[in-house]
Amino acid sequence: MQQGGDDLFGHYEVKRRIVSLTPLIDVVFLLLIFFMLASTFLQTQTLTVITPPEAESEVDTDRTVVEVRVTTGGGFSVDGEVMPLERLSEAIKAAMSGDRDAVVSIMAEEGARVQPLINAAEAARLAGAKTVATTRLGGGE
Amino acid sequence: MIEFEENPRRRQIETVVPLINVVFLLLIFFLLTGTLKKSDEVDVDLPVGQVDDKKHEEELVLYVEADGFVHFQDLVMDAQMAPYMLRNRFKELSASAVTVKADQAAAAHDLIQLMEGLRNIGVEEVMLITQQSKEAE
Repeated sequence: MQQGGDDLFGHYEVKRRIVSLTPLIDVVFLLLIFFMLASTFLQTQTLTVITPPEAESEVDTDRTVVEVRVTTGGGFSVDGEVMPLERLSEAIKAAMSGDRDAVVSIMAEEGARVQPLINAAEAARLAGAKTVATTRLGGGE
Repeated sequence: MIEFEENPRRRQIETVVPLINVVFLLLIFFLLTGTLKKSDEVDVDLPVGQVDDKKHEEELVLYVEADGFVHFQDLVMDAQMAPYMLRNRFKELSASAVTVKADQAAAAHDLIQLMEGLRNIGVEEVMLITQQSKEAE
């Protein structure tokens, strides 16, 4: 189409098209780089922990207590029995013996890291425990 | 002669078009999949978790670094001393729920100590932030 008719007019049209594309590409590239750098793909989730009131009215001695220990090396034990992470949730569930009001007490030994503590808390939650308490073992105040 | 001059020009336009298409596709991909978030003030390596309570993060964020230091806004403190230093500030903000971003390598004792301290200054709910494990996806 451009070749037909006026030669000069034809040249004009072709030139205009080339010129108008370049800034568009520039802008699109800039936008691309911006979104590549600014966006995050890390998906986070929340684990809610309710901190109990300072003065607990009275200790209910009838409640089942499941003791989960987080050892210094990152291992776990349920009521004194060493348990790998994969079976932790099952073991807690078994130890609770169907009592949904059972208290799961997670005791972190000195030197234990946050990751196994979170794993233990999640395992207790997955086992269906409503009350999960965290305590420190050793190290004093 | 005229036709010879025009051919290479046309070709130039044609080679640029697929490039633009790809760039546009990439742009749309990043626009749709990425999320824009305020970057964390403190760089912590979040612990991996599975449980999601699907709650919105509170605006008050406490960071627990791997070495045990607790960051809150412009304050940097020891986990043990944190409740004393935060008491007045939390009272002003009337905070009852906070978000805690703890490093996975931080000592569990520091985190528990911080949560005990927070409980004593009237914080009822602590939201621990974890990152999705890759296997769960």
